[in-house]
Amino acid sequence: MTVVERRHFIKQSTLLSIGGILIPSLFLSSCRKETLFEDANYEGKVIIIGAGAAGLYAGFILKSMGIDFEILEASGTIGGRMGKLTGFADYTIDAGAQWLHGQNSILGDLVKAKSVKTTVDDAGISYWFNNQIVDTLPQDAFIFEGENLPDISFKEYAHQKGLGSEYDYIVEGIAGDQGASASLLSAYWNSKEEENWVSGDEDFKFEKSYFDVIEEHIAQPILSNIKLNSPVQSINYSADKITIVDINNNTFVADKVIVAVPISILKLNEITFTPILPAEKTEAFSKFGMGAGMKVFLKFTTKFYKDELFGGAICAAYADDTIGKITTDNVLLAFVMGDQASNLHSLGNDAAITNALLQELDTIYNGQASAAYISSTVFDYTDKPYIKGAYSYSTIGMGNARQIAAATIDKKLYFAGEAMNTNGHHQTVHGAVESGYKAVIDILNDVKK
Amino acid sequence: MNSKIVFYFFASLISIYSSAQEWKADVSYKYMYSSQLDKSIQTYNFSRPLLTEKQPLLMNGINTSISYIFKNERNLKHGLNVNYAYFRSSAENENFNNTFNLHFLNLGYILHYENAEKWKGLYSDLIISATSSVILRKINGEPFVYDETRSKAFGIGGDVQLKFGTYINLKNKSYISPFISLSYTPYLFSPNNEAVINQTKGLITNNWSSIVSGQIGLAFHIRQQEND
Repeated sequence: MTVVERRHFIKQSTLLSIGGILIPSLFLSSCRKETLFEDANYEGKVIIIGAGAAGLYAGFILKSMGIDFEILEASGTIGGRMGKLTGFADYTIDAGAQWLHGQNSILGDLVKAKSVKTTVDDAGISYWFNNQIVDTLPQDAFIFEGENLPDISFKEYAHQKGLGSEYDYIVEGIAGDQGASASLLSAYWNSKEEENWVSGDEDFKFEKSYFDVIEEHIAQPILSNIKLNSPVQSINYSADKITIVDINNNTFVADKVIVAVPISILKLNEITFTPILPAEKTEAFSKFGMGAGMKVFLKFTTKFYKDELFGGAICAAYADDTIGKITTDNVLLAFVMGDQASNLHSLGNDAAITNALLQELDTIYNGQASAAYISSTVFDYTDKPYIKGAYSYSTIGMGNARQIAAATIDKKLYFAGEAMNTNGHHQTVHGAVESGYKAVIDILNDVKK
Repeated sequence: MNSKIVFYFFASLISIYSSAQEWKADVSYKYMYSSQLDKSIQTYNFSRPLLTEKQPLLMNGINTSISYIFKNERNLKHGLNVNYAYFRSSAENENFNNTFNLHFLNLGYILHYENAEKWKGLYSDLIISATSSVILRKINGEPFVYDETRSKAFGIGGDVQLKFGTYINLKNKSYISPFISLSYTPYLFSPNNEAVINQTKGLITNNWSSIVSGQIGLAFHIRQQEND
């Protein structure tokens, strides 16, 4: 081969290679879609029961797909276990969910994309231990993560690991984070289910409120599809079309239904299904725990309290609610879960609840609480007729109840909500959101031609 | 002491060089298909309608490798190969420029075949490699860090590649060769890919991926003549 021929050959080879790169690249690229169901053209109607985070996000996705849907919400407001309180302090209080748990989540992306202001809640924990406030404990009480923990309660496991009864209310505070009493939360299943937790451990608070963020960016575009004050009584899925009747005897017809109500409502059979749900399903519902839950906001003239304190006998977890907020007020949150919330609930009224908490705070802080007290407000989620508790937790013997509970029935009924999140993010708003879009994925997979 | 090290280093280099039948370096375009990676990005896009610019699939990348073929007299020779590939998926939304960078590094064993009598200038390589991968996420040009740790997902597995090319002599021992190749990674254990891309784990994919890819590119060779 002469030099000229060689150059010519190299030039031709280079051109052929470039052509060889571009042509298959363009052809093969066009065969692969960037998103799921890009060509979906589902013409059926979807009804979502419940306008909590899961129901709202399912609606948000359906709207983006141009699919007909309606959300039936039992109460008079959207948000489910999210809510806000204005006027109590000089900032908006998150009456329900208030922490974004970790940044590596779909809502973490939303926060960044919409430039939502958040702050890491890195308050150090202090403890009410042996009748004094301490910043460190003689023994580590955070022992509930890891593999092969036994299927016994947090409380029992703590005792087994040598944490004496003086740690009981601290362990109660740790279990309370999971919405449960320490005597009912399974050490094994709680850690097992959290193996898939990937969103991160840092907790973030919103400068505005969590509720405002969800309302503005997710609920606003779909408000016209939401029917409030429409508690669903029955769902008949025996025919091709599903018939839903609410408490006002309004009838709705749908092709697919996403049930996005709290697990407590399903456990208590407050919605009648025809035909009745499979026994395996109802048995799975019964294995979920959903304890009492209460948030009490106490406003004071001065900040005499620790940023976060675990170990109270009346309330195992107190937290400064103003962290991450622009405020000059002093608001302490009593985060009461499980048996402690049931005990306070049984007192019957907000004044009695507040008094019980003030008494405990006076004991801890030498009478400063009553002296600085201005006002309080109580959010008792156990009292709310369409919620009836805090959030789902994993009981002893939980097994794969969450997977069974979340499974679709007859390609007609789909289940969403924090309790139905099977990838470790249950008990959270971002977990509810994930279950919401997963329900839509399941629907579109089922109708795919 | 230092002069001894330098001596042994160069002595080793000369020894390696003299026992080589061929040195090869190549650059190529690489097209990749992995249903699991696709599903993660497709779910990411599906679940985030608030991001108007969709995240492209990880499919178009560049690849480069270096190979060393041991000298012997037979048509079938063997050698070693180091391979690096890079894929990128970037979508720019207002305030939110999201990028996934996927890197592969393979260490492989080559069976190199050429039969000058039957197919003059043609060669084929069968490369069996151990492969490792990492997916890294960047947001607005900065590594995405949470809990003071960079968002990343490692993978490890095995890969088999079949490559065909044809030698073109440039000068003396220097050659180039256009080539095509197909490779298959039947199992890449990558439990956190979904966690980096869709920010979930166990929601949509398994903890492993399989990958099929094709390459087209140019290699530069330094070959010893049979009688060298």
